[in-house]
Amino acid sequence: MSCAVTRDHLSAYVDSELPPEQASEVARHLVSCAECASEYEGILETVSRLQEGLVPYRAPDVLRARIRAAIREEQAGSEPVARRSRYVPWRAIAAAVVIAVVSSGVTFVATGRRAAEPAVAEEVLASHIRSLMPAHLTDVSSNNQHNVKPWFNGRLDFSPSVPRLDDAGFPLLGGRVDYVHGRPVAVVVYGRRQHVINVFSWPAPGRDVGLSQESRNGYTLMHWRRDGVEHWVVSDVAVPDLRQFVALLEQGDAASGRTTPETAR
Amino acid sequence: MAAAPDSVLEAFERSIIPLLDDAYTLARHLLRDEHDAQDVVQEAYLRAWRHYGGFRGGDARAWLLTIVRNCCYTWRRSARPEQVAVAYDDEAHGADEDEQLAADARVLAESDRAELELALAQLPREFREVIVLREIERLSYQEIGRVMGTPIGTVMSRLARARKRLQQALGIGAREAS
Ligand SMILES: [Zn+2]
Repeated sequence: MSCAVTRDHLSAYVDSELPPEQASEVARHLVSCAECASEYEGILETVSRLQEGLVPYRAPDVLRARIRAAIREEQAGSEPVARRSRYVPWRAIAAAVVIAVVSSGVTFVATGRRAAEPAVAEEVLASHIRSLMPAHLTDVSSNNQHNVKPWFNGRLDFSPSVPRLDDAGFPLLGGRVDYVHGRPVAVVVYGRRQHVINVFSWPAPGRDVGLSQESRNGYTLMHWRRDGVEHWVVSDVAVPDLRQFVALLEQGDAASGRTTPETAR
Repeated sequence: MAAAPDSVLEAFERSIIPLLDDAYTLARHLLRDEHDAQDVVQEAYLRAWRHYGGFRGGDARAWLLTIVRNCCYTWRRSARPEQVAVAYDDEAHGADEDEQLAADARVLAESDRAELELALAQLPREFREVIVLREIERLSYQEIGRVMGTPIGTVMSRLARARKRLQQALGIGAREAS
């Protein structure tokens, strides 16, 4: 095999994509030709640098959620689809993640007032992390609050507010029912570029509690209680953005008429 | 379209949804813009879902990447033909983005990914495509040929030339290519 022909085959030789006869001809040539051997070394080094250094991008969670929402909406016409709990294997994995979160010795950085109920914060955070895994973000996937809000009827003893915040850059992704502190709670899910924001709420009689904020494991948690409704917001978006989001949420809440649980009245 | 049975949706969830990182990676490199890539991947996934009934096993990744690649090409031609390849839209990059970029930069600094991605981004799209499919997605030549719609001989020569260009850009092997 000539030098020119050998050079043409070196790249495929590196990948073991040459037919056996050609591969052995290349191998024989490389033993006897220092120039082609050095050429081969160069290609080998290039390929190994590319394969080690070029790593896949991680698709944003919001994209995953958007795709699921689009498919489910197409699947069911315009009807929102309730996901049945058929992803059994994930439940076991989810439990493992909860244990990992709880046992990871989280540091508790409270800014402002006292940190609201650490145990609840832990459960809320675990729910947020669990929601980022495949098929766990939403039970009802829709960008339309008129689909999301009624979906909670009959599943919960109260109805969360679902303001539309698309114009402010927080598209609605859907909702789900989750369990926090031993009771079913409403979770309304919003997106912010590639990030996910989970908004938890449930009825909780008692005095109003002002906004407090803490960060754990790179996530920000915000908590407040008003008019007998407990609110938690969890996300990894930048803190100023999350504050803006909470302010909009409260405004939208007031504008749309707050829905309060019967027990609070 | 008529609603597919739940089992089909389940199979799609199991075999196609987990390939999202692969799909997004190809689109990112072909389009060189994260927002464009997200839009195109979403479109590609909807298309994949509609044609999933016709997918008869085989390599799901090559099948999906073929759809993603085609969406990248057609989307680019029809939707934004005047778009400059590496345009940077200041308006679309807020504080969140800056923070993201800073975080990315930290990661990049730790490896030589930045240098590699820059070198890759300068190549013509046909070269970027074959490099991503081979060095990142690790497809066989036969699968690459299927995705790109070219004979294996073309895959072989295109990959060799793309590697040569990158070798020179990265200054590997001081010798001049002959
Ligand atoms: Zn030689």
